[in-house]
Amino acid sequence: MLSKLDAAPLLEFILDRVNIGVFVLNRNMEVVLWNHFMETNSQRPSQDVVGKNLFELFPELPKQWLERKIQSVFVLKNFAFTSWEQRPYLFRFQHNRPVTGGVDSMRQNCTFLPVKSSSGDVEFVCVTLIDVTDTSIYQSMMQDALNKLNEASNRDGLTGIYNRRFLESELNKEFCRVKRYDGSLSFILLDLDHFKNINDEKGHLAGDEILRRTSEVLSSCIRESDSLGRYGGEEFAVICPQTKLKGAMILAERLRQSVENGNFSFHNERVPLTISVGVAELYPDTPTYERLIHEADTALYQSKEAGRNRVTAFERPA
Amino acid sequence: MSLTPLTEDQRDALQEVLNIAMGQAGDSLARILDAFVELSVPRIRVVDVSHVADTVREMVGDRHEVTAVRQSFFDDLRGEALVIFGANGCKDLADLMGYAEELDQQSERELLLDVANVLVGAILNGITETLGTELSYSAPSIMAEKAQVETLINLDQLSWSHALLLEVNYSLENRDFKSHLLLLMAEEAIDALRGAIDQFMESI
Repeated sequence: MLSKLDAAPLLEFILDRVNIGVFVLNRNMEVVLWNHFMETNSQRPSQDVVGKNLFELFPELPKQWLERKIQSVFVLKNFAFTSWEQRPYLFRFQHNRPVTGGVDSMRQNCTFLPVKSSSGDVEFVCVTLIDVTDTSIYQSMMQDALNKLNEASNRDGLTGIYNRRFLESELNKEFCRVKRYDGSLSFILLDLDHFKNINDEKGHLAGDEILRRTSEVLSSCIRESDSLGRYGGEEFAVICPQTKLKGAMILAERLRQSVENGNFSFHNERVPLTISVGVAELYPDTPTYERLIHEADTALYQSKEAGRNRVTAFERPA
Repeated sequence: MSLTPLTEDQRDALQEVLNIAMGQAGDSLARILDAFVELSVPRIRVVDVSHVADTVREMVGDRHEVTAVRQSFFDDLRGEALVIFGANGCKDLADLMGYAEELDQQSERELLLDVANVLVGAILNGITETLGTELSYSAPSIMAEKAQVETLINLDQLSWSHALLLEVNYSLENRDFKSHLLLLMAEEAIDALRGAIDQFMESI
């Protein structure tokens, strides 16, 4: 065991060489201690820094904010903290991952500790600065992965457009928005005509290819604010926010024509394709978003009954 | 409840210690916020772990969404502090501190963390100064944002058997700003607190 006296030089060595920035300020914001980490990263040796005002030494520091923070430690005798998540860094230091980093400078977590004299007053504020660049990189990698996962869970695996789950949650959101703030909303449901024949005659690979191509054709027709998704096997749906029935009918007709003129083929063999479409608009008395889907579905059924390859609007009972 | 961790006398003494601490906390807050701060007399409850979630819900009221900041403290006493703000807590504070413009999300979080840190530090420093103990703190972090009260405390994750809950209301210059501060302490930390309270009672 080392006595306290013997330990002192060891502690001094550790304080200087530990891989953490440590510096101490007095009430006049003058530096009284500046360890090796701070020397190396700021490229200012201790003898150039000690005894000088921190803000004169580093005019780029956010003075107003930082001074307030440090003063709060003197006044309140309380710890204070900064986190890289809110404030990426205190000092603009280089980090040690120039190759794999992807961030522009060292991310830092800082702790401000009150150093009390025997009378209980805060004499100095000791600041420790920890390099958390690694943490920040892992966190942003994790966030990217989560975003991708989230995005993937909203997509249909075959076509890459939205899936039914996402469409329904979007429709519900739009439904609630219109109920609360007014506005309009229309919903288009469409079905590939005689799709079963394609599957039966040309095989499922052909069917999959046609579904992919159809989603491309439909995607190219819709507007920025519309949401297109695969609703079921060969059924697609479009949510049209801020759109009345008349506008949705124009869009639906455009979808129908684009598919009819789509020049679909599989293994260089032409596959003629048409769609049947149903359109419904949300009215103040439409009770639920499911009701809106049901109405579009009813109109779609009428298109099928009337000979397919056509667009029908849901007729509200008089 | 299995046992009462504090006797009536210890409870009274702790209440007294807290009252002193609150005075200091109010003073500290006033300095940092540049506003007159009124703190209510804290209500203390020591509850069995199985009642924590219910008690917290009862304290905060379960109708509103809340934002919570947590901060660890350690040394002579060890535990976690939770500061629970109402949904508009941050906006009210920002108004008060003269942020005229809309805060972006990161500034808003920084403000919440700063205020929570000041609240926790002020109260715990008040306690430790009176009791003659030492404390260190880790950085505060956002625990939940705009969450339902009942989702805050997950019983399965609690590793202690009792919690000391302090309910403190803050009013800031006629504004109805309310926040709640909870100190959660493990069994042995409550033991340490009890020891410190006993010493304090002998010394007066």
